[in-house]
Amino acid sequence: MEGSLVSDPAPGAGDLQDFDALVRLHRPRIFRFMLASLRDRESAENLTQDCFVRAYQAREQFRGAASAGTWLMQIAANLIRDHEGSNRLKFWRRTLRHDLDPADLGNWIPDQRQSPEAVALAREQVTAVWSAVARLPERQRTVFLLRFVEDMDLLEIAAVTNMKEGTVKTHLFRALQTVRARLGGKS
Amino acid sequence: MNPRRSNQHSSDWRAEAARLETPLSLFRGFVRHWSSQHRMGYEENPMNTAIEYADYHLARLLPLTPLDAPWYRGFFRNVCDAIHAPQLPLLEVSSRPVEVKSIWGIYPRQKRSWAFSLALQSLAVVVLFAAVSSPTVRHAAREVFQLQVPIHISPYKPAVQGGGGGGDRSTIAASQGKLPKPALKQFTPPAAVVRNPDPKLTIDPSILVPPDVPLPQVASNNYGDPFSKLLTPSNGTGSGSGIGTGANGGVGPGTGPGVGLGSDGGIGGAVFRAGAGVSAPALLYKVEPEYSEEARKAKYQGVVVLTVIVDTAGRVTNPRVVRSLGLGLDEKAIEAVKKWKFRPGYKDGRPVLVSAEIEVSFRLL
Repeated sequence: MEGSLVSDPAPGAGDLQDFDALVRLHRPRIFRFMLASLRDRESAENLTQDCFVRAYQAREQFRGAASAGTWLMQIAANLIRDHEGSNRLKFWRRTLRHDLDPADLGNWIPDQRQSPEAVALAREQVTAVWSAVARLPERQRTVFLLRFVEDMDLLEIAAVTNMKEGTVKTHLFRALQTVRARLGGKS
Repeated sequence: MNPRRSNQHSSDWRAEAARLETPLSLFRGFVRHWSSQHRMGYEENPMNTAIEYADYHLARLLPLTPLDAPWYRGFFRNVCDAIHAPQLPLLEVSSRPVEVKSIWGIYPRQKRSWAFSLALQSLAVVVLFAAVSSPTVRHAAREVFQLQVPIHISPYKPAVQGGGGGGDRSTIAASQGKLPKPALKQFTPPAAVVRNPDPKLTIDPSILVPPDVPLPQVASNNYGDPFSKLLTPSNGTGSGSGIGTGANGGVGPGTGPGVGLGSDGGIGGAVFRAGAGVSAPALLYKVEPEYSEEARKAKYQGVVVLTVIVDTAGRVTNPRVVRSLGLGLDEKAIEAVKKWKFRPGYKDGRPVLVSAEIEVSFRLL
């Protein structure tokens, strides 16, 4: 559902007339991306707020070259990069401390119909991917999350991260290699 | 970027993604679930937080154990805690002790206070000296304070009044000669003509003169009156032994064992001071001095010190003012003291002239 929003074919300044509607529409995605990148609810909320503040301040500069969703995600990616650059040490310390919230993972049941064994296996795999993503460099992680969590295609990712498509592919490949190494032989 | 490598990467990442499809989809599901969970708490139920907080605080307010629980349950828990203490999370100390100066203890001397103290005290001393040395202040102080004349401690000056005389009723006047040695007790009166040449008990003649009184010295071997011009030895026309025209064993025209005019020992009528065998005169009758009119108006009070001689009859003679008060009080004091009556001072059972100091105090009640 949200994937279709990304590829909304009606970009333009008209999108920004109703900024409240824009926020309601895109805030869950932005917040999810922030949360997955930062793994800190407070920072994610702050940066989501910052993202929309910046978008509101720069809404005149939006020319409709991309969809509003892509534009907002671009702002979010820049914010995350700034945040990481300024708070690298603090961020990593916090990340290592609550690398994975066990309560969240414990609550999460991928599929009610699966057997406990399958649920345990799924949890194990998710934990492995999660920790692997946490150790990825910032660009690889952003590309990975945009591709496999937000389901954006490569051109959109290239627009968001301001990279060429080939670079995006390279980052994706390296990120996947790291994740696969973390998962071990299971594939 | 190399296009060939890019293509290779492109195919590679797709292959990798296909291989990891299951974990990646699981991961996607988890992240979405997690994010939506957070969003649920944050956005879609804004009242939720408040209610949650209220419950939370209520839970913290309520006691952990019911108050009506039996005592042995708490006791048992205490024992369990003592044996195996529950592992508490490490206390996260966010504050750090700051080194401050010690507030208890002995303080070093503070230079500023020391300097202040020194300056203040030296200023006080300077002010005091300046005030005392100022003439106006000294004048005022003299008005205020009565400088006490110290007790009479001038060197003992034996009175040279008094006297004595004697004789053995000779027909000629006493002859010239030296005086016998002075003594405070006369055993034998001097004699120019010794009537008893062979006494049983020989005692040197003496005259009753206070010691250290300068006596007229005459170069002569015989006793006699030093003021006489006669050379023929004679005891004089007096009576009661002694030399001269007087009586009672002295030398000269007086009465008594002394020398010269006067009576009762001494030279020229000596006045004794109390002490050394002379009893002090005792007051028998006293008249309170009157206040002078001026002094009463000025509310003036003080002490007048008089030197008087108490004669053998106990009367006061020769009053002299030693310390004056002024405003007519000196005169009033003398007037009163002249009416006083004393028991005279005695020496060897005989009344003698005794000089005395009398303090007459004037007090306004």
